[in-house]
Amino acid sequence: MDPEFWAKAHGASTHLPLALAMCSWGFDAAGFVFLSWPVARQFSMVGYWTMLVGAMGTVPAVVSGLMLTKGEMMGRDVLLFHHLFVWPAYALLVGLATWRACVGVTAARRAFAGYLTVAFVAAGLLAGAGYWGGELLLGGT
Amino acid sequence: MTLSKETKALRVAFLAMLAAVGGVSVLGQVLQVRARIGSHEQPPTESWFSFAPVTTPDDVAAGRKLFLVSCASCHAPDARGDEGPDLHDLEISDRRIANVIKKGIKGEMPSFSRKLNDAQIVQLRAYLRSLGD
Repeated sequence: MDPEFWAKAHGASTHLPLALAMCSWGFDAAGFVFLSWPVARQFSMVGYWTMLVGAMGTVPAVVSGLMLTKGEMMGRDVLLFHHLFVWPAYALLVGLATWRACVGVTAARRAFAGYLTVAFVAAGLLAGAGYWGGELLLGGT
Repeated sequence: MTLSKETKALRVAFLAMLAAVGGVSVLGQVLQVRARIGSHEQPPTESWFSFAPVTTPDDVAAGRKLFLVSCASCHAPDARGDEGPDLHDLEISDRRIANVIKKGIKGEMPSFSRKLNDAQIVQLRAYLRSLGD
């Protein structure tokens, strides 16, 4: 097997959940804010599916990352910073997607405001994980 | 009192988060154990609590003979290094020296586990330790 296989697989698999989680938050927020618009329901629908697919995409990203580090879940220096963002983001994404799958496309407005707040935090954590992941590859060059 | 679908979903979501983090932790532990077993840097668990044997000048002499037969072709007869590295003043543990000899280093050094028994590895290590700087 290519000795860099897991590094390549991790790079290839991490961008899907990153992009979809942020995309999901954007569409859900748009659907929430512009509730009276005719397309608000479609916004929520896109937010729903992007969150579900994004959360499913975290599984290959996390598994390839663990294979890459040979099971090291924290590490040191830049890898530690990467993991400090990755694990909360991963847990939150799984939780958010599960909640969404159970509730459906639409939810009570107050509950959905809470969902959007947590989803914003998760998207921020993912962005942080992506930043430190980039530093792992490119830092010091 | 009946719970709303959002509250029920919240409970399920917490369980899913716990399962996800737990699953990742288990996978991480399994991969770490696999990596340790496959590495020359850490011995298998059955030898974690073994004590380092005391070596004697006879061990050093016997170790030198073993070195000349098994190691000198790569590390040079004076152990100053040739194809393999200089072995003077090794700054690694006795356990690691023994494991490198036993398991080798992938792509760099062959395993000597079939050629040398544990007693001979102790003698060889005693010789390496005697080399100094």
